[in-house]
Amino acid sequence: MHSPELLKGTLQTIVLKVLKDHGRMYGYEITQRVKELSDDRILLTEGALYPTLHKLEAEGMLRTETETIGKRVRKYYSLTPQGRSLVKERVSEFVAFIKTMGNVLQVELG
Amino acid sequence: MLTDDHITYIIKDLNYRGIVAEGIQDELIDHVCTAVEAEMRKEKRFIDAYHTVLKRFGHTGGLREIQKQTLQSENKPKNMIKNYFTVALRNLRKHSFYTFINVAGLSLGISICFIIVLFVRHELSYDRHFANADRIYRVHSELKFGGNHYNMTYAPAPMAAQLAQDYPEVAAAIRFRERGSYLVKRTTENIREDRVIWADKDFFKVFQVPVLAGDPAKALTEPNAIAISQRIAEKYFPGEEALGQTLILDDKINAKITAIYQNLPSNTHFHFDILIAMEGLDEAKSPVWLSNNFQTYVLLNEGASVSQLNAKIPALITKHMIPQLADALGPDFTLEKFTAEGNLFAYTLEPLTDIHLKSALSGEFEPNFDITYVYLFGAVAAFILLIACVNFMNLSTARSANRAKEVGMRKVMGSMRSHLIRQFLMESILLSMVSFVLATVLAYLLLPVFNSLASRELSIPFSNPNLYAVIAIAAVFIGMLAGIYPSFFLSAFKPVSVLKGNVALGMKSGFIRSSLVVFQFTISIILVIGTMAVFRQLNYIQNKKLGFNKDQVIMIDDAYALGDNKQAFKEMVKQDPRILNATISGYLPVSGTWRSDTPWWAEGKEAKAENMVSMQNWAVDYDYITTMGMTVKEGRGFSPEFPSDSTAVILNEAAALALNFNGEVVGSRIQTFDADYVTEVDRNKLQTLTVVGVVENFHFESLRQNVSPVMMFLAKRPGGIISFRIQAGNTQEIVTNIEKKWKELAPGQPFTYYFLDERFNNMYASETRLSKVFGIFTGLAILIACLGLFALTSFTAEQRTKEIGIRKVLGASVSSIVLLLSKEFGKLIAIAFVLAAPAAWYGVNWWLKDYTYKTEIGIGLFLFAGIAAFVVAWVTMSFQSFRAATSNPVDSLKSE
Repeated sequence: MHSPELLKGTLQTIVLKVLKDHGRMYGYEITQRVKELSDDRILLTEGALYPTLHKLEAEGMLRTETETIGKRVRKYYSLTPQGRSLVKERVSEFVAFIKTMGNVLQVELG
Repeated sequence: MLTDDHITYIIKDLNYRGIVAEGIQDELIDHVCTAVEAEMRKEKRFIDAYHTVLKRFGHTGGLREIQKQTLQSENKPKNMIKNYFTVALRNLRKHSFYTFINVAGLSLGISICFIIVLFVRHELSYDRHFANADRIYRVHSELKFGGNHYNMTYAPAPMAAQLAQDYPEVAAAIRFRERGSYLVKRTTENIREDRVIWADKDFFKVFQVPVLAGDPAKALTEPNAIAISQRIAEKYFPGEEALGQTLILDDKINAKITAIYQNLPSNTHFHFDILIAMEGLDEAKSPVWLSNNFQTYVLLNEGASVSQLNAKIPALITKHMIPQLADALGPDFTLEKFTAEGNLFAYTLEPLTDIHLKSALSGEFEPNFDITYVYLFGAVAAFILLIACVNFMNLSTARSANRAKEVGMRKVMGSMRSHLIRQFLMESILLSMVSFVLATVLAYLLLPVFNSLASRELSIPFSNPNLYAVIAIAAVFIGMLAGIYPSFFLSAFKPVSVLKGNVALGMKSGFIRSSLVVFQFTISIILVIGTMAVFRQLNYIQNKKLGFNKDQVIMIDDAYALGDNKQAFKEMVKQDPRILNATISGYLPVSGTWRSDTPWWAEGKEAKAENMVSMQNWAVDYDYITTMGMTVKEGRGFSPEFPSDSTAVILNEAAALALNFNGEVVGSRIQTFDADYVTEVDRNKLQTLTVVGVVENFHFESLRQNVSPVMMFLAKRPGGIISFRIQAGNTQEIVTNIEKKWKELAPGQPFTYYFLDERFNNMYASETRLSKVFGIFTGLAILIACLGLFALTSFTAEQRTKEIGIRKVLGASVSSIVLLLSKEFGKLIAIAFVLAAPAAWYGVNWWLKDYTYKTEIGIGLFLFAGIAAFVVAWVTMSFQSFRAATSNPVDSLKSE
């Protein structure tokens, strides 16, 4: 398990990238997908996920659609064109950050 | 996997735990359900699975935390504004009466402001559309000679060419020469065109009017070449190519069309439709500097300094004009003596862009406007808007007592002062926005009325995106202006004292409010006095004894169209017994008719500048004095019984006085040089006339001016305008009859007639317009102020319902209660009157100082305005006061 402190700044990047690779997803699906990709090392808490999703939606990066399954209402998130361009930016920013960290900490990266 | 019962259970349980917010509730339910399903796949029972999931969420606290954070993460400021908006809307709807008063007053005020801004913008834009507008100047002539003082646009014929030749900073100089209207025809039917002018060939170089056909550089070079506006091209050659075609002017000039230019925009100080090449005008080639007939414009080179050029012009005058003046005035002429006697020949250059607003010379092409009126209009607009804003402030603060509890409660619930200020500002901005939308509609509807009053062609530039930006910014600004005081005032309440009931606001804390009411009424009273003064002056002008009778006179223009039939026409029409008299003369006692002046002196005196009197020389006929209804004071009028009348002259009193005769006026003789002032002045040939009569002074120009000396003599070939004095009644029939005779004697010529009194009133068109526009503004200002007062009194009455009830129970009469309620405002209006009277007195005197003949503005007018304001305000108030006073005390007291 990675420390939540380390994850804090990368939450948006993770959510955006996952949505980019998988199209539309609902909240639970996102947590499961991240868990899967990280071999259970990253567990998104609901308390962090939903505020992030709603914030991105309010900023116009995500759009939502709802589907009714019996008594349940499921809300799907997907990227807007604006969000799509943000993903690239965030990912390359993060890669650059890792490189810098590598230099700062004097370690060879993968 | 989950049954409906399970889902229902989860929904209910989460709801019970407080997950209720829209937008997150459904999402969390679905999330929990999915997670429970996942757990149940691990062979758990539903309830165990559910509890595992809940635990992961952190139970009730964790769930609520997610809900809270999610809501907060959504855009915060947007939500708050939405909230302010909702609350503001709710408040405005709840007090719809006050909202209505506010919106009505504000939108009225704004629409007036809007119209005035459009008007001012239009006035300020005059002539700025010309490329090089900042480098074009007009020659302004100031001449003092023979006791007369002229400020005019006319300059001597050779000046333009000389300026261009002598000074390298002048890029081009052109002249215009007005010769009145022309009869224009293509083949047979003559049409009268008023906007015809002779112009020098460089016209298109100085005024870069877009030319649609033809070469502007070559257009006006040949004699008889004309350039015409698009309007004329479409009128005479509809659907045809006009370039190269011919028009016949005044039945004699075959004019070839060499250019067609775009119609001049309305904000230009001239609107010529036909330009005739100056080449064809002999007068334009005159070398004489002593006769001023040409409007002269110069285009300076870039970077040239006009003040330096202005300083050089006196040298030009000394070099070219003074020698001719010395020749004309005799051997003992010296420039020093000439100027020492108070004579002056000064020429200066005035900027093109100043003409419309800062110039009122004789010989302007069209009536100009006055920059002071632009300022005045602007001030009135601002005042009306302020009055409307004051209404808003007053009502908001007066109602503060009602809202004090709301403010206290909001503060207890954690509102900060800044929140409240924002809340109140939101209300006023919202109100102002609504008012602006209404005002735009109102302005759109009122603009045609204003246009006809002010004789302008304004329109709202709906296609201009700036308009919307300006409206939006102005709406917010006005909203802030009106809301800033109430919002600070209201938000300052201390919740403890408010909720304890210690704040006795309402009418008592109204010092600022009282001042604002005083301000409103001061402005209103000033406007009332101003309007009444303008009306009174106009009335005075209309009824002043003019020295002639302006009523029941028909003038027929363009007598020249009759050719040699003028006299025959006059006699033929006179056979109608309803025609009392008739005269042929272009010189009439209203402005816009012919004028001509020459210096004369009394026979026996030396022909020197100090003895010369510059007089109007009017060529008239035998019937002139009787037809115009002038009074002969001494001697007699012209009569065919005296053959010697061909060398007789009749003076007006001003002329008789100025000529300073040694003996009796009648029988004395006057002299002048026998010259036409076009070619050359010959000192040796003199013309002598004998005075046979003196007529009472008559006003022949606007009453702004003094009556100047006039001499009348019999014309050899009378012409210009034929005037008939007619019997009252049946005017239309008489006109039809005259027109029939005209058609017989002048077939194919246009028949144009006016009434003398109409032409007379035209001289005061700007005053009439001013009084109408001001009258309307005043009415509206008072209306807006009274709207506010009405709401304010109804509010006071509402506040004091219980007090009134108790007073009535104790035996107060209706009248004493009405008095009680109106007393306070009555005092305010009295104060307003005291403040307004001196300001209005000053303003009215300032306006009247331009008139030589003016009405007396007595104390009565001021008193009337004060009483009128008081009565209007009192009627407004008493409606509410009376209602409050007559209501049944039981209704107001039973609820306590």
